[in-house]
Amino acid sequence: MVQLIVGQLLNGVIIGTLYGIIALGVTLTFGITGIVNFALGAFMAIGAYAGWYFTDVLGIAYPLAVPLAVLVAALFGLLSDQALFRFTRNNLINGLIVSIGLISVIQSVLLMVWTTTPKNMHYVLPGVVRFDLFIVPKMKGVVFLVLLAVILMTYAALTRTWTGRAAYAYAQAPEAAKLMGVRTGLLQSGVVVYSTALAGLGGALYASLYSLEVSMGSSYILKGVEAAILAGIGSVMGSLVGGIVLGVTEAIGSIFLPQAYRDAYGLVFLVLILLFRPSGLFVRER
Amino acid sequence: MKTGLLWLPLFAVPLVLHNDVALTILVFTFILGILAVSFNLIFGYTGQLSMFHAAAFGIGAYATPLAMDHLGVSFWIGMGIAVLAVTAISLVVGTICFRFRLKEFYFAIVTLAFSEMARLIILNWSSFTNGSLGINLTSKPMLWVPGGAMAIDGTRNWYYLSLVSLIATVMLCTRVVHSWMGRCFAAIRLNDELADTLGINVFRYKLVSFLIGNAGAAVAGALYGFYLGYIEPAYLSIDQSLAIVAMVLLGGRGTVAGPIFGAFILTSLPHVINFSAEMRVLVYGLILVFTILAMPKGIAGAIARRPLAL
Amino acid sequence: MQNAVRRSDRRLVTFAAAFTLVMAFELAPAHSQEVVKVGEIEAQTGSLNTYGWMSAQGVRMAVDEINKAGGFEVAGKKYKLELLNPDTQGNPQQALIELKKMLEEQHVRFVFGPFLTNIYKGIEPYATGFDGKFLLIGGATAIHFDLTKPRHGYLMRSWNWDAGPSGFGSLMVANLKQRGAKKVAMLMQNDAFGHVARDIYADLFKKAGIAFDEEWFEPGTTDFSSVLAKIAAGAPDYLFPGYTDAVLYDIVRQATELGLTKFWLVRGSLGPGLKNKDAIEDYVIYIPKYFEEAQNSEPKVKKFIDEYKAFYKTDFPYDQAPLCSSSCYDQVFMLVEAMEKADTVDDVAKVKQALMSMTYHGVWNIRYDRTGEEIFNFDVVDIKKGGKIEVTHFNPE
Repeated sequence: MVQLIVGQLLNGVIIGTLYGIIALGVTLTFGITGIVNFALGAFMAIGAYAGWYFTDVLGIAYPLAVPLAVLVAALFGLLSDQALFRFTRNNLINGLIVSIGLISVIQSVLLMVWTTTPKNMHYVLPGVVRFDLFIVPKMKGVVFLVLLAVILMTYAALTRTWTGRAAYAYAQAPEAAKLMGVRTGLLQSGVVVYSTALAGLGGALYASLYSLEVSMGSSYILKGVEAAILAGIGSVMGSLVGGIVLGVTEAIGSIFLPQAYRDAYGLVFLVLILLFRPSGLFVRER
Repeated sequence: MKTGLLWLPLFAVPLVLHNDVALTILVFTFILGILAVSFNLIFGYTGQLSMFHAAAFGIGAYATPLAMDHLGVSFWIGMGIAVLAVTAISLVVGTICFRFRLKEFYFAIVTLAFSEMARLIILNWSSFTNGSLGINLTSKPMLWVPGGAMAIDGTRNWYYLSLVSLIATVMLCTRVVHSWMGRCFAAIRLNDELADTLGINVFRYKLVSFLIGNAGAAVAGALYGFYLGYIEPAYLSIDQSLAIVAMVLLGGRGTVAGPIFGAFILTSLPHVINFSAEMRVLVYGLILVFTILAMPKGIAGAIARRPLAL
Repeated sequence: MQNAVRRSDRRLVTFAAAFTLVMAFELAPAHSQEVVKVGEIEAQTGSLNTYGWMSAQGVRMAVDEINKAGGFEVAGKKYKLELLNPDTQGNPQQALIELKKMLEEQHVRFVFGPFLTNIYKGIEPYATGFDGKFLLIGGATAIHFDLTKPRHGYLMRSWNWDAGPSGFGSLMVANLKQRGAKKVAMLMQNDAFGHVARDIYADLFKKAGIAFDEEWFEPGTTDFSSVLAKIAAGAPDYLFPGYTDAVLYDIVRQATELGLTKFWLVRGSLGPGLKNKDAIEDYVIYIPKYFEEAQNSEPKVKKFIDEYKAFYKTDFPYDQAPLCSSSCYDQVFMLVEAMEKADTVDDVAKVKQALMSMTYHGVWNIRYDRTGEEIFNFDVVDIKKGGKIEVTHFNPE
């Protein structure tokens, strides 16, 4: 039993980082552009299919295919920002509907190109590492480390570089930041594109663990939004921890309670947190 | 009520139009119109983005036949029980959300969470709800007319039942909107902190709006289930909630009747786009995106703005 | 303010009237001669489209092929097929409206589909009103229970039934017992088929004295590691997993990582088993057609594969897709043959009679039992560690 719990704690942490990377995109987009980009799940699918295509069809080495896939997702992100999201800044509702429409568009294009047949990348790093109390599939460990590194680097960049601080400042007080010379339009577009790139990275890594379907992103965007809210919108490290909390709740919940209710365990937890700390776990009450 | 006369031509439609497919689309439009109009009370007028609407719709759809089966009551009483049940559940959900002052996106996510929980319960409580298999509803609502009871069956009967229900919903919502209550809703939408300082009981009026809106959704659910003849857990899905939001935004949230347009467009669109399956989804997405970008106030808003439209 | 609202209300009504008129024109029926219309009601997109999309592929191919060959001849007249295959997106409302279009405006007499139980149940009340006027040939599990009901003569089920005398359920369970299994864990998709499968097999396991546990997952799940860890802790002899390739790749990979290495009654392709061939011990698949083998031994299978490649201009996917596509492809040919035999293209009763009394030899060997449920030959493929494959062919009586 101890073995089972420890193993699943760890598994929850690993899956949680995947929720966390989406949550990070959600939190950044919301903080800077005032909308929640529900299409981030679809960008995750773009990254995943691109990653699979580069590795399995074109035969590019996986470590090289991942950045390429991220680039593809970011390019589509740039396109969607210039064509659509530019017009929905700070309009939560319109942004929501536009991103939902965008999901339909992306999914149908993926369907037309790659059909509904599930895609399964060749195993990049098969096998498991055995410890006394638990087992970790090697690739899951790698994915965890990469995502962790990217989130930490994002945090460092936001706190240590001028652009990052400008973004932080803008999220806190847009008018003041503007007066201090922050180029709003560029910053907003940059954040939209960066969040799609993060989603693309999540997708490209996801492709090495699971089989791909066009609608794969839909559950991840929900988990990402839940994690972002759980942590408190605007908190970078919080989105990581929020994702992990969610992942662990689900993993442990599924052991003791029926798996069929798995999605509910995280939701119950989220509701409880929000009731007692409405601004989230990691954002101080103002 | 002069505007009431504007509904009259709709009563003549089945007499002129003998196309069963078009009438079916209109029946679904009217029923989903009830859903969209009632949702708009919460969303458009009070400014709360509730994601609980699909749950209210689905619980209404399940509670009606279950009450009829287990208590042996008629459709109308079953529907009444369903409305009461949905109102009671909404009271709990609404009290939790509004007592803890959840706003905007936070409110949306918590109501979404409750909605998902409701769906999972209906999906997994197989002994009561028949789980993922859903339930076929074979009985028909009865109506007492001079000379005996009449079963509401066939597209034309349903057309009138759903039309009358829709008109009743619109009239009720219009009254609410133009009453003192409606002004409180508007004040809350514009600025709820200011409304609070003006002495409006923000909690109470948010809750009232939430209850009325969800009661309307329960009626829509009962009608929808019996018209289609089949209920399933997908009634409570997130996609359904999002479809309702899209209906309201497409139609326009500034007017009581605007959302009916959105319901009409989303219902008829899949059947008039003649493309291959994938292409249709693409076109649907593009229409959604560009309508919102081109007409941020919805179709009703766009028509009202231009004096010479149509 | 109020006046503005009323004015816009009035415009709304005008707009609605105009839109309705436009739509009435759009929906106006179009007739053409010497054409037999066949319909198909399937979910080709949406989250539950696996089977619908596959069958739509097969039907499209068959119709194209029949028409390119000049059509077919019934009672001295040449006919071509016209295919109406709207996408239901898994939504009963859309399916109902499309079926109404087919039956009332296009006067279609033969409709393929649906595979989804919710779609079938959504159109059933309406379709029953057209009993005797058309045939609905669909795969949904729920159709099985309605085949023998009164006023349901329009139904035929285009898939076989696990539990029937010609099914394979008891055969598979007996085979499992021979393998020495005492305990089986079922991990199924929480949907209509999953529940029907549980009901059938829970009963068969009980009779065979095999202990049985069940776990359910939501469609769309990709990470099964927690539930699999829980199952592994119970140490079952075999895992009885979900039924589509999409979940099987993930289940098999994650199960083997946790030390669950024996799989039984997998539905789907050989793909997930072969991909993990070094990690599995025993992988028993029920598969209607083992394409990799059949393409060398059966010319019709080879022909199907070549045509598939040419028609869709892609490689042939050796996964779950061609199974369903080829079965639905055959059913179109079988219907045409039945019309030729019955000497009519519009007498539904005669065509059904012909379908029920024939055996069609295409990519599959298809016939119907007396309730109108399909019986076909199938293979059981057993993959052992390292990828060694054993195939057993079954041709049910």
